[in-house]
Amino acid sequence: MDKIIEEARIVYQERVLGQTFRLGLHSPEIVSAARPGQFVMVRVREGMDPLLRRPFSFSRIYPERGDFEILYRVVGRGSLLLSRLAPGEGLNLVGPLGNGFELPGKESAPLAFIAGGIGIAPLLELIARITSERGKKGAEGLRLFYGARCADELLPEDALRMPGLRVHFSTDDGSSGYKGRITRMFEEVLAEGEFRPCGIYSCGPLAMQHSVAKWALSTDTLAQLSMESLMACGIGACLGCALPASTPEDPGAERFVHVCEDGPIFLAGSIKWKNIPAQQTAPPTWPFN
Amino acid sequence: MEKHSGTTNRAPDLAVQLGPLRLKNPVMSASGTFGYGKEYASFLDLRRLGAVVVKGISLEPRAGNPPPRIVETPGGMMNAIGLENVGVEKFLSIKLPFLRELGVPVIVNIFGNTVDQYAEISARLDGAPGIAALEINVSCPNVKEGGMVFGTDPAMTEAVVRAVRGATSLPIITKLTPNVTSISETAKAAEGAGSDIISCINTLAAMAVDVFSRRPRLANVYGGLSGPAVKPVALRCVFEVCRAVKCPVIGIGGITSATDALEFLLVGARAVQVGTANFTNPAVMVEMIEGISRFLEVEGMGDLNSFIGSLDTSCLFPFAEDSCALVQSEMS
Repeated sequence: MDKIIEEARIVYQERVLGQTFRLGLHSPEIVSAARPGQFVMVRVREGMDPLLRRPFSFSRIYPERGDFEILYRVVGRGSLLLSRLAPGEGLNLVGPLGNGFELPGKESAPLAFIAGGIGIAPLLELIARITSERGKKGAEGLRLFYGARCADELLPEDALRMPGLRVHFSTDDGSSGYKGRITRMFEEVLAEGEFRPCGIYSCGPLAMQHSVAKWALSTDTLAQLSMESLMACGIGACLGCALPASTPEDPGAERFVHVCEDGPIFLAGSIKWKNIPAQQTAPPTWPFN
Repeated sequence: MEKHSGTTNRAPDLAVQLGPLRLKNPVMSASGTFGYGKEYASFLDLRRLGAVVVKGISLEPRAGNPPPRIVETPGGMMNAIGLENVGVEKFLSIKLPFLRELGVPVIVNIFGNTVDQYAEISARLDGAPGIAALEINVSCPNVKEGGMVFGTDPAMTEAVVRAVRGATSLPIITKLTPNVTSISETAKAAEGAGSDIISCINTLAAMAVDVFSRRPRLANVYGGLSGPAVKPVALRCVFEVCRAVKCPVIGIGGITSATDALEFLLVGARAVQVGTANFTNPAVMVEMIEGISRFLEVEGMGDLNSFIGSLDTSCLFPFAEDSCALVQSEMS
C-alpha cells in the first residue's frame, strides 16, 4: 500500500518511567500496511509550530485492532508537546514510511537484538513478531542485549517478557545489570562461547551502531541497523536525512543514502562510517532556559 | 477592488498567464521541497497543480553536503542539502517521464558552476518533450561555487540569463536570492537579459550553533532559512520586485495556506511556489488551491486575475485630511 496521511486517535498515553512514554494510536489504514522497522511522521500539533513532523518507529503493531504504539523519550520540544496529549485527541500521521526490517528466514537460527536506550522501540515489535512466529520451541537462541545510561532509562523486565527471549541488561553507571556499554557486554557474552548469532538487529545511538557494525563486518555476520536522523519530510523529497554510503565498486565515490527512503534499516556494510561527521544534535536546552 | 456582485454557480477561474507560460492555477511546488514529483504522488493528485518545479538539476550528478543537513528553527527550518541531484541525463531518462505522462506542466530548476554550464544544461533540456519552462537557480546559499555567487551580482545574473536565453526557446524563470542589498536591481538585470519571469525568494543565508558541542549545527556551517519565519521578508521582496519589473513574478517564501498565497498575489505575484509547507502537510498545495477558489467565491470574484496586484496602498488613514498623498510619496 502507498504511504498515506491519516488522522489517528490517541487510545492511551502512559508514562512508562522517567521521560519514557508509550502512546497508543488508532490508525487502521496505516496499521494495515505497517511492518516492523517502519516509521510514521507525526504532526505533534496543528498549525505550523513546531514546523516539522517528528519521526517515530512502530514499537508495537496490532493489526486486529487497527492500533499501533510508539515508545518515545521526551528529549525536546516536539516530544514534550506529544507527551501532553490525552486519549481521545487526534494526531495527524504520515505513514507507513521506510523499508522495515527483513525478517529472518531460517526457523531456529540464533539471533541477537542490540538496543541502546530508546532504541529498544523498533526492536520490540520485531522480537514480538519473531517469537510468535517461532513458537515456544524455536524461540531458543533469541537474545536481547539492552543497555541504557542508567536504570531509570531501562524498560522494566516484564515489558520485555517474550517466549524464549533471554535478556541481558547493562547500564553505563552500573545502576542495573552489567556496568558498561552494551556492545562490550555483547562481546563478553560471545567470548564465553555459548552463543553465536547468525543475525543481528540493532537500534541505538550512533556510537553503539558503529560498534555493532564493526563487529558484524569483522565476523561476517548479517546486521540490520535501524538508523535515526533529523528529518523534514520523511518521504525522500527534502534529502535532509543523508548518511554517507559505501560504494564497494568505487570506494572513493562520495554518495549519500537517505534514512527515510533507503532506510531506516541499513546493512552494516552499506554505510561509510568513517565519513559520518561528529554528532551535532543538541541535547535539550530546557534545563537551562 | 473589482467585485462581481452577480455571482454565478461556476467555479472561479484560477488560470494565470505568466508571459509565455499559461497555468491552470497559480500554485506550484518550490524546487528542492518536492523531489521529482513522484514522492508526493500518493498524497495528492499532481495533475491538479499549476506546475511542478523539480529539484535543481546540474549537468553531472551531485552528492550534496555531508550531514547534518537540516535544523528546525522557531517557525522555520534551515537546510544545507548542497544541491544533491541525479544529473540531467538521469533526470531526463528516469525522473521526467513520470511527470510527462501525468501531463502536469514541469518546470526544471537548473544550476551550474560556470556560465557555460548553465548554457549547456539549458541546451540539453531545450529539445526534451514535456518541459514547460526552465527556472534558473542563481540563488542557492549552500554551495561554494555557482549558485548564489551569480545571484548576488547583477552583472553575473545578467550573464547567466543571457547565456540561457541564447541556448533555449523555453520560457525562462530567474529565481532570485534575498541575500542582496537591492533585490530589484537583480530583478531588473534578469529581466533585461531576457528572463520571461522572475521568481523570488530563495532561502535566507543563516546559521545555527550548538553550545554543548560548540560546533555549527550544519556540517556546511551556513544554511538557508525557509518556512513561515521568512514570509514577511519574502512578501516585501516580491512587492519590491513587482514594482521594479514589467515581467510576471512568482512569489515564494513561507507560504503555508491559501491566505498566505493570496497575500503574495495581492502584492502583485502572478503565481506562487510552495516549499517547506509540503513537509508539514504533503497535501497542502491542493488544499491551498481549493482555499483560493473558496476565497474568490466568498469575495464574489469570478476571475483570480482581478485580485492579482490589487493591493490598496492609496489611503491608509481614511479620517486624515490629504493622507493619501503622504502615503503614496512614502511608497514610491
